Amino acid sequence: MRAAAAAAAVVTAGLIGALVAVPLESLGRVAADGGLTGIVRALSAPASRVAILHTVAVAGAVTVLAVTAGTALALAVERRPARSRLLPRLLVAGPLVIPEFVLGFAWSQAYGPAGLSDRVTGLTMPGLFGPAGIIAVLTVYGLPLAYLAVTAGLAARADPALERAARAAGAGGWATLRTVTLPLLRVPLLGAAALVFVTAAGSFAVPQVLGTPAGFGTMPTLIYSDLALSAGPAAFTELVVLALTMVALVLLAVGPLDLWLARLPRAARPETPLAVAAPRTAGDRTVMVIVWGYAILAAGIPMLTLILTALTRGPGLAPVPANWTLANFRSGFSGGAGAALARSAGLALAAAVAAPALGGLVAGLARGRWRGPLATVVTLAYAIPGSALAVGIIIGYGRWLDGSALIILVAYVAKFWVFGHRPVQAALDRLPPGQTRAARLSGARPGTAVRTVVLPPLTVAAATAAGLVFVLAFHELTMSTILYGPGTETFAVVIMNQQDLGGVGATAALALVLTVPVVTVAAVAAWLARRTAVSPGIHNGSWSP
Amino acid sequence: MVPLTAAPVRRAPDAVACAGLSVGYGRPALAGLDLAVTRGETLALLGSSGSGKTTLLNAIAGFAAPLAGRIWLAGELVSGPGRLVPPERRRIGMVFQDHALWPHLSVLDTVAYPLRRSGASRAAARRGAQAILEQMSLGPLAGRRPGQLSGGEQQRVGLARALAAAPALYLFDEPTAHLDANLRGQILDEVARRRAADGAAAIYATHDATEALAIADRVAVLHSGRLAQAGPPAEVYSAPEDLTVARLTGPVSVLDAPVRPAGPGQYAIGIAGARATVPGTAAKPAGLVGPARPAGPADPGGPGGPAILVRPDWARLGDGDLPGSVTEVRFRGPHTDYHLTTPAGPLLIREPGPPRVGPGPVCWSLVRLRLLPPA
Repeated sequence: MRAAAAAAAVVTAGLIGALVAVPLESLGRVAADGGLTGIVRALSAPASRVAILHTVAVAGAVTVLAVTAGTALALAVERRPARSRLLPRLLVAGPLVIPEFVLGFAWSQAYGPAGLSDRVTGLTMPGLFGPAGIIAVLTVYGLPLAYLAVTAGLAARADPALERAARAAGAGGWATLRTVTLPLLRVPLLGAAALVFVTAAGSFAVPQVLGTPAGFGTMPTLIYSDLALSAGPAAFTELVVLALTMVALVLLAVGPLDLWLARLPRAARPETPLAVAAPRTAGDRTVMVIVWGYAILAAGIPMLTLILTALTRGPGLAPVPANWTLANFRSGFSGGAGAALARSAGLALAAAVAAPALGGLVAGLARGRWRGPLATVVTLAYAIPGSALAVGIIIGYGRWLDGSALIILVAYVAKFWVFGHRPVQAALDRLPPGQTRAARLSGARPGTAVRTVVLPPLTVAAATAAGLVFVLAFHELTMSTILYGPGTETFAVVIMNQQDLGGVGATAALALVLTVPVVTVAAVAAWLARRTAVSPGIHNGSWSP
Repeated sequence: MVPLTAAPVRRAPDAVACAGLSVGYGRPALAGLDLAVTRGETLALLGSSGSGKTTLLNAIAGFAAPLAGRIWLAGELVSGPGRLVPPERRRIGMVFQDHALWPHLSVLDTVAYPLRRSGASRAAARRGAQAILEQMSLGPLAGRRPGQLSGGEQQRVGLARALAAAPALYLFDEPTAHLDANLRGQILDEVARRRAADGAAAIYATHDATEALAIADRVAVLHSGRLAQAGPPAEVYSAPEDLTVARLTGPVSVLDAPVRPAGPGQYAIGIAGARATVPGTAAKPAGLVGPARPAGPADPGGPGGPAILVRPDWARLGDGDLPGSVTEVRFRGPHTDYHLTTPAGPLLIREPGPPRVGPGPVCWSLVRLRLLPPA
C-alpha cells in the first residue's frame, strides 16, 4: 500500500507540476529577471495600483452581496416541501449556464442607454458601465454558488431536529438562525465565499464588456490589454508581475481557508433527508415573488433582449416582427465562426474527457495522508486566475505549442481539473468500505473488482463532472483570449472580437448560438440528475472538501 | 341525567389537553384525537412506527399546526384556529429520538443554551449548566463535542438540555430507542427522579410495551392516527379493547374455542372435550367504545364466536386438564417461555424459573381470560 501511495504522489505531483507549477514558475522566472526594482516599479505603476484596488473592491462587494442574498434565499426556499423547491432552485441557478460574456453583453443591451428598457420605459440602469454594473452581473453568478452551497450544507448537516431542539429550548426564529442554523452552515458558507471571491476576482468577460467602455479596469482586463498592446519587454515584465500578484492575492485569500476547512472534523451525522418545517404559506408566496422577480430581472429580460437583438435587422430598429431577420446569423457566421464553433466543441469535449479521468486517477490513487494536501492543491489550481495561468502557460509552453489549439486544452484541463476531481472523489468517499473486499471474496480479481464494483457507482459522478467541465470549457473566454493565435480562435473569442468591432446584431446572434447548446446540455443533466435522484448540487458549488 | 350546561367544577387545568386534534399534510397523520394529561402525570404514548406518536409530540411542541382541533397547555390555548403559539413560548422540554445535539456546541454550551435563551448571562448560564451536569454525573464531559460522546452519553446530554429549561412539560420522542437495556434503565430512573422533584408532566412516546407499562401512570395506545385505548398500565394490559391494543401492549395468544358466561365474571370454556371455568372480562361490542378500530388480520374466534385473549402469565403448565403439547421451550433468565400447540390454537405460557418440562404432551390450566367480541 505504501508503494501505491508513493506512486500516486508521484503521478499527482507530475500532473500538478506540468499543469500548474510550470506556468507559475515561468511567471516567477520572468518577474525575477526584472529584479526587485522591476517588481517594485511594476507594482507602483498607477494603472496596476488602480487595477488591484478595483479587483479587490469588486470581488469583495460581490462576495458579500452574493453570499448574503444566496443564503437568505436558500434558507427561505430549501425548507419547503421537496416538490416546490425545484422551480425556485432552477430559477436561481439558471444563470450559471449562461456564459459570463453573453450575460454581460445582454445586460448592456437590456439596461444600457438605447437598450430595451430605455426604449420601452425610458429607464436605464445607472452605472451599468462601471463598477455597479460589474458587481451586479457578477453577483448573478455568485448568488447561485452560495445558494447551492447552503443547499448542500442543509442536506448534509441540518437535521431539522437540531433547529427544533433550539426552538424547544426557548430560542425564537432569529435566535435559532443565529445560534444554530448559521453556525451549522459555517463551513459551506465560508467555502462559498471563497469560491465567489475567486470567481469574481478572476472574471475577465464581465469587466471587459461593462468596465472597459467606462475606463474601469480590473487586473484581468489590464493583463489582457497590456498583452494586446505591449511593446517592450519591460511592459511584459510589468504584466507578469501583475499576474503573479493576482495569484498571490487569491491564494492568500482562500488558501489558508481551504487548508483550515480540510482540517475541520467531518460531520458525524448521518445524512438525513430534509423534513418539512411548519408550513408558512403567506411567506412562501412572498419568497416566490422575490425569486421570480430576481430571475426575470437578472436573466429573463437580458436574454429576451439578446434574442430580440439577434433577430432584429439593425440596431435602433424596433424589435417587432416586421423587422425580424436571420441576417445577423448569416453575417456572424460569414467569417471563421463556424470553424471556431467546431474547435470550441472539440476542445470542450477533450477537456470534459480528460478532467474527470485525471480527477479519478488522483482520487483513486491518493489515499491516507496524501488526500487532504492533494485535494487542496487541485483546488488551488482552480483559484489561480485564468489570466495569470494563461500568461504562465504561454511563457512555459509557448515555444512548443505556439499556434496550436493544444495550448488552450492544457489551460482548460489545468483550470477545470478540480471539477473533474471533486465529484469523483465524493462518489469514492461514499462507497462503503467493504465492497471491493466482498467482491474479492466472491472470486473477483483486483481489476475485475474495480471494474464491476467500484466503477459503476462512479459513472454518474463522472458524467456530472464531464458535463460541468464541458460547459465551463465551452464558455471559457479569459484564457482563450490570451492563448489563441491565428486559426485557433475559440467561438467565445470570435464573439468577443465581433463585439469589439461593434457588430451588435451579429454578436447577439453568435452569443445565442454559444448559449443554446449549453442550456440544452444543462437541461439534460438536470433531467438525468432528477431521474437518478442524486444530490441537488449538480454544480458542486461547495468549495469545502 | 342532568345535562351539563353549567361550568364543571373548577380545578387546576390539565398540563396538556387536546380536543378533536387532526394533524398532517394531505392525509392526516392524526385524526380527531382527544387526550388530556394532568399535572405531574406521565403518559406513555404507545404505538408502532407511523402510528402518529411523533406527529402528536410535534403538534404539542408547536412544530406542526393542526388541521383541526385545539391544544391547551396549562389551560392556555396554544394551537387552534388562527392561533399557533411558537415552540419557544410553550415551556416544553423535549428529548429527541436522534439526540439532536448541536455539533458546533460543547456539552456545557448545549446545556447552557436554554438558560441563555431565557435571558441568563453567558457566565450564569454556564454555571447553571455545570450544576445540572454535575447532578447527572456528566461533569467530566462538559468540554466535549457531541461527536466525541457515546450514544448513551449523547442521550443523557439531550436529557440534561431538556431539564435545564425547567419546563412544565417534558416530551420524550422514543429517547431510548437506540440504547441497550442497561443504559435505558439508568435514563428512565433519572427521568422519574426529576419529574418527582419538579412535578412537571411528561409524555413519553415509545413502541416498547414493557417500557410504556413500567414508567407511565397512564398508557395511551395510538393506532393509525387514532387513540385506540387509554388507561392505567394494568388496565390496558389486562383489558385491551381490541386485538391491536392487545398485541401492542404485550405478548398475547388468541384462542378459538366455545365459551359462554358462567356467572358474574366467570366464563366456561371447552377445549377438545375438556372444560374449565375461568375468571375473565369481556370487551364491549365494537361500535360502543372509542373511535373506529380496524380489524386485525385474520381475527380468530371462529364464525361468529368471540376471540379469547390469553396473556402468557394467565395460563399454567401441569395443574389442569386442558390438553396441549409443548413444541418449544425458551429459557430467558428470570422466566421461561413455553410455546404450545393446543386444539384451540397456539399458546404462549410464561413461568418463572428455569425450564421444568420439555417438548411433548402436557396439561395446562387457565387462570384468567379476556373476551373480544367477534370481528
